[in-house]
Amino acid sequence: MPSQLSSLPAGAKRAVRSLFTSYLLVVLAVSVLGGWAASPYFLTVRNLGNVLTFAAVVSIIAVGQFFVIVTGGIDLSVGSIAALATVVAAVLMKAGASAVEASVAALAASALAGSISGLLVTKAGITPFITTLAMMSIARGLSYMVQFGSLIGIADERFIWFFSGKTGPASNPIVLFLLIMLLAAFVMSRTTYGRRLYAIGGNAEAARLSGLPVERTTFSVYMLSGLLSGLGGLVLAAQLTQGSSLLAMGYELDTIAAVVVGGASLAGGTGGPIGAVVGGLIIAILGNIMNLLTIPSEPQQVVKGVLILIAVVFISGKGGTRSRRQNRKGPAKKAAGAAEAALAEAASAKVTAGEESSAARAINIEASIR
Amino acid sequence: MREGSETNMANHSFDKDWITLATRPAAGSRGDVVASVHDVCKAYPGVQALDCVSLEIKRGEIHALLGQNGAGKSTLIKMLSGAERPDAGELRVEGRGISFRSPQEAQRAGIFTIYQELSLVPELTVAENIFVADLPRGRLGTVDWRLVRSEAAKAMAWLGFPVDVDAQVKRLSVAQKQGVELAKALHRNAKVVLLDEPSAALPQPEVERLFQVLRSLRDSGFAIVYISHRLEEVESLCDVATVLRDGRKVGSFRVCETSQTELIRAMIGRELAASLVGDTSIGEKKPRLGSGVRGEVALSVRELGDGVAVRGVSFDLHRGEILGVTGLMGNGQSELAACIFGARRGTFGEVRVNGRRARIRKPANAIRSGIGFLPEERKTQGLVLSMSIESNITMASQGRFSRLSVINTGKERRLVDSMIEALHIRTTSSRQAVGSLSGGNQQKVVLAKWLASECGILIFSEPTRGVDVSAKEEMYKLIRDFAANGGAVLIFSSELPEAMFCDRVLVMSRGAFVGELAYDEIDARADAILNLCCS
Repeated sequence: MPSQLSSLPAGAKRAVRSLFTSYLLVVLAVSVLGGWAASPYFLTVRNLGNVLTFAAVVSIIAVGQFFVIVTGGIDLSVGSIAALATVVAAVLMKAGASAVEASVAALAASALAGSISGLLVTKAGITPFITTLAMMSIARGLSYMVQFGSLIGIADERFIWFFSGKTGPASNPIVLFLLIMLLAAFVMSRTTYGRRLYAIGGNAEAARLSGLPVERTTFSVYMLSGLLSGLGGLVLAAQLTQGSSLLAMGYELDTIAAVVVGGASLAGGTGGPIGAVVGGLIIAILGNIMNLLTIPSEPQQVVKGVLILIAVVFISGKGGTRSRRQNRKGPAKKAAGAAEAALAEAASAKVTAGEESSAARAINIEASIR
Repeated sequence: MREGSETNMANHSFDKDWITLATRPAAGSRGDVVASVHDVCKAYPGVQALDCVSLEIKRGEIHALLGQNGAGKSTLIKMLSGAERPDAGELRVEGRGISFRSPQEAQRAGIFTIYQELSLVPELTVAENIFVADLPRGRLGTVDWRLVRSEAAKAMAWLGFPVDVDAQVKRLSVAQKQGVELAKALHRNAKVVLLDEPSAALPQPEVERLFQVLRSLRDSGFAIVYISHRLEEVESLCDVATVLRDGRKVGSFRVCETSQTELIRAMIGRELAASLVGDTSIGEKKPRLGSGVRGEVALSVRELGDGVAVRGVSFDLHRGEILGVTGLMGNGQSELAACIFGARRGTFGEVRVNGRRARIRKPANAIRSGIGFLPEERKTQGLVLSMSIESNITMASQGRFSRLSVINTGKERRLVDSMIEALHIRTTSSRQAVGSLSGGNQQKVVLAKWLASECGILIFSEPTRGVDVSAKEEMYKLIRDFAANGGAVLIFSSELPEAMFCDRVLVMSRGAFVGELAYDEIDARADAILNLCCS
């Protein structure tokens, strides 16, 4: 590509390059065009509104997931924490609490669950994967215990309006996730906190030796992820007018997929929250198109999986080869890069053998066989 | 299972007699060309990394590959080791034209590359690592571990590394690991061994031992390509030196007929008239890094230690002074630097900054007291390679560019631009990722980070390691300027010529200071430093 670019005039070169840097928007536009071609209903306000409304929950949680992933961690407990939030809110409102009280309590419980993960990661030194895997189970179990029986209906009008109603023509959940995305984007690009996250994800040791509060900051992203999971849970509870321990199943994978499709590397240090949201939207739009074409859900899952792989190869993979070359000197980083390339395999390897060492070992064996 | 071929292969590769290998008349005689490169070119986006370079690697010769960072050394190595393919030109092995599609193919042709970071599996044993690609099978198809172990032991003993072959590689020293790499290469019938800066991470006595091993390999008919920044090593070890500059070959020189100055000139392409590196030989009038002017005490360290590597060390560092700490690698220098900076747990003792007691528990405390630290491992400790130059420079001084944690980008940009200009950091944009810069420019970014934090005390650990000659010169100038403006400088260096530039040198051995020499004494008593080091 670059050799072809060199023959173009400077202005055209810049245009082509910026097109590539905003590849996500290109992919988004292509999928919208695809939808328009596939079904006359796709480009209706009603359909797109539905897509965005349903994407709101995953988008909000994906922003929290992004904060964790950019530090080189991962949060598998987001779906369970969201379910916990729906149950806490529903139970409290059923017991007579106001919408505000119930929401605050649900958010506090979510942030607390995230904080516990954060403490375990930073103080006890347990790898994020294992810590949040445990929290995923704990939070799901707790929400079932709090619920004590089958799902709990929500009748509080103010609650339902605030998290899933409309203000004028604008849908509240859409406004909410857009606000959160923009706020997160501002934090990442313009505040010292965002810089710290990129630094820690890029090289935690260098960050520590530059005086950055690595532990405190790492702790905070898990708390933040818990909080945003809880918020996503409240939107979900309002949309479905119920609280249930069975909600938000598999959201951990949906959000990780959104973040990765959005261009972030699981090794940490790269990407942005807008990318994570757009990545989630691309997945949602493709799902919607397939629904409109009445494709059954099983093939849909296959397409979704292939899409994630393509994204990793073409988007993160581009950064992957570069970082692999750069980081010849850092075996841990190399391992992370490979883990990303083999998202699924890495996940199972992580469970059995504890994250980086196993991946590093695989890479080393590969290298020495070469 | 094709039984016949299986046993054939086993005979071929495992009945190797390591003792006779030492004197084995290689297939062909000394001086034959084993591998050669003819008019090879390679371009990367925006750079002509290699431009019609030719090279002959001969049996029984140690061939040095010299050049500054970016001269094309590593690209050339990648061609030879099969990691990259040339755009034009030809590779030949034993006269036959060949093109490698992968490192495996190069290894099959007998060309092995030992990179600085080594490609061993840390969890496996020495024997397993040597045989990792072709474990010998016994009758039942199970691995014949007895054969593996005895062959590995023979190989290691022949190479002069008598290690336990059942030890996990991660427990070995760097030198021993290199031994394992060499054994692996020999076991797989290497003809040419390429070594990429093997001495960079070795303490001095180990370097000498590595040289002995390499010399005996040369004498038994192997061809060795040796890449290093250290000209003294090239002089004592190599027979031929090929110098690359800007992707072109400047020439090949017989080392015994060429002076260091000539090689330096070939590398940088101009005379280093008043340079710091041009005339470092002992006995000549030597340059000085500091001004000799000394202000009040900036850093005062009393009985600092960690109970393991550093044993109760005391010294004073004055403003305007450049204090060197030297000694053989691994005598506690890097640990002492980490202790002062708060990067090491379990330290005791007292540190005073400008007369006031500083409680340094973590790096953030040290930075608040005005101390900056340039670690020896730039890429893993000093920089976040994936971040921009700008973010790296302001990483340690975020508070100064922000209000309520919102960054004032204009203010930040102005400071970063002024740093890039003042330190001559060669880059097209401050938004460029630091990982894409050369070693010397990366080191300047680390320095810029501390200058931006306005610290008064700078601790350098091996400030010019892995930095090319002209960047080295610039680095010295920047250190000198910092001291001349009243900064206090502490340089940890295991390179004697570098220590000799300092105003004062402390010699460290086994975690304690064993001697102190003033600038005037260092010249005449260079022997004294060496003696102290070894005491």
